[in-house]
Amino acid sequence: MSADRTGYAAKQAALLEALLRGGEPPAGFAAAKAHAASQSLRRKRVGAVRHAWPALTVALGATFDERFDAFARTTGPPAFGEGLADGLAFVSSLAPAHELGDDVRVELVFARAILVRVRRDGGGWRPRRGPFARIARLRHPHRLLFVVHLPRLGPRHASVALVP
Amino acid sequence: MSIQTQRLGRGLGWRPELDGAVAHAKLGFLEVVAESIGSRRLPAGVEAARERGLAVVPHGIRLSLGGAEHPDARRLEHLASVAERVGAPLVSEHIAFVRAHGQESGHLLPVPRTREALEILAENVTIAQRALPVPLALEHVATLVEWPDAEMDEATFVSELLERTGALLLLDLSNLFANAHNHGYDALEALTRFPLKRIAYVHVGGGVFRDGVYHDTHADAVVPGVLAMVEELHALTDAPGVLLERDDDFPPQDQLLAELCAIDEAARRGSERRVG
Repeated sequence: MSADRTGYAAKQAALLEALLRGGEPPAGFAAAKAHAASQSLRRKRVGAVRHAWPALTVALGATFDERFDAFARTTGPPAFGEGLADGLAFVSSLAPAHELGDDVRVELVFARAILVRVRRDGGGWRPRRGPFARIARLRHPHRLLFVVHLPRLGPRHASVALVP
Repeated sequence: MSIQTQRLGRGLGWRPELDGAVAHAKLGFLEVVAESIGSRRLPAGVEAARERGLAVVPHGIRLSLGGAEHPDARRLEHLASVAERVGAPLVSEHIAFVRAHGQESGHLLPVPRTREALEILAENVTIAQRALPVPLALEHVATLVEWPDAEMDEATFVSELLERTGALLLLDLSNLFANAHNHGYDALEALTRFPLKRIAYVHVGGGVFRDGVYHDTHADAVVPGVLAMVEELHALTDAPGVLLERDDDFPPQDQLLAELCAIDEAARRGSERRVG
């Protein structure tokens, strides 16, 4: 018997769709267990983003879960980068970063040092291979943050206070 | 007599938060998530452990061997390169899928336990084995949802898959405990029918009961039922290595070390029953 990979893929896609959306599972699946699985998936996804983005977690406070749910309804988990990439996509969908405070801004710059957006493949994130340099203006206190990331070396940073 | 020859001993799933525990516990090996190892230097804690003589096993989580597509060549290449960089004695991955029709699940999902799935999975595993420089061990996963119309149970499915491919077994006692509890069968009975002679190493992780459902969280203590399975396993066979998984909500170091000891004790009690 030669296996039908096409049919197999369709069945898996149908289950995955139901688990990601939290909706009715395909015929034959126990609805209560599928619902529990869906919730578990969502909990793990949120947990991974919170873990990778502690400052963002603090900045969003009690609104984190609700805002992430809204984001997750339209955007599935990333192919690379796990919680870091997922959080990067999440932050990009929110208000401009500087409105979320300095700490989130710093997290964002360091995430950008490690991940680069891929234009094809629906705009996912991949590990950055080349060098990276960015300057971010932070407010409290007023200073410039220089971040440089070199392959094999990793991120390096320095802050310079801005005289008022 | 077991197929796997390398003795690994006591292990811990490496996380940066566990560097302290890794330095203080008497470990034989670490497991690192392959996808978390980039092209830069290895994490300092992992490098230090290697220098102390610990084996390091790359553990892949996104190869999707249970998926409909052939394993991605780039992902296989990455897994192989991590194995080479750490001098791994073997690598491990999962009997699971993590993407379908280009959509990621972000988590390990179970495959149907059918002859058709077995054929696809065996083909994917063989492709993976050809690309890897070391033996491949496969882990069965915990799942809250089950595919309908199963043609065989998990012990049979895993046995057949490993028989067909020659792959080794990463026996996850917590996953077996979770599935048996959540889907209503006898964990210890199922354990006896897993391909125990193919064990490369064993996973033990914590979890929690919530509203009658057992959740394999890796963020809680190892429950007594799972420790009992460690003992029962060692009453049946010797295991080359037993690894504790802790991914979140990290406890104080002495608590983690105590948990490693509890696992050792359970293994010792079981072994005493086996050898008398």
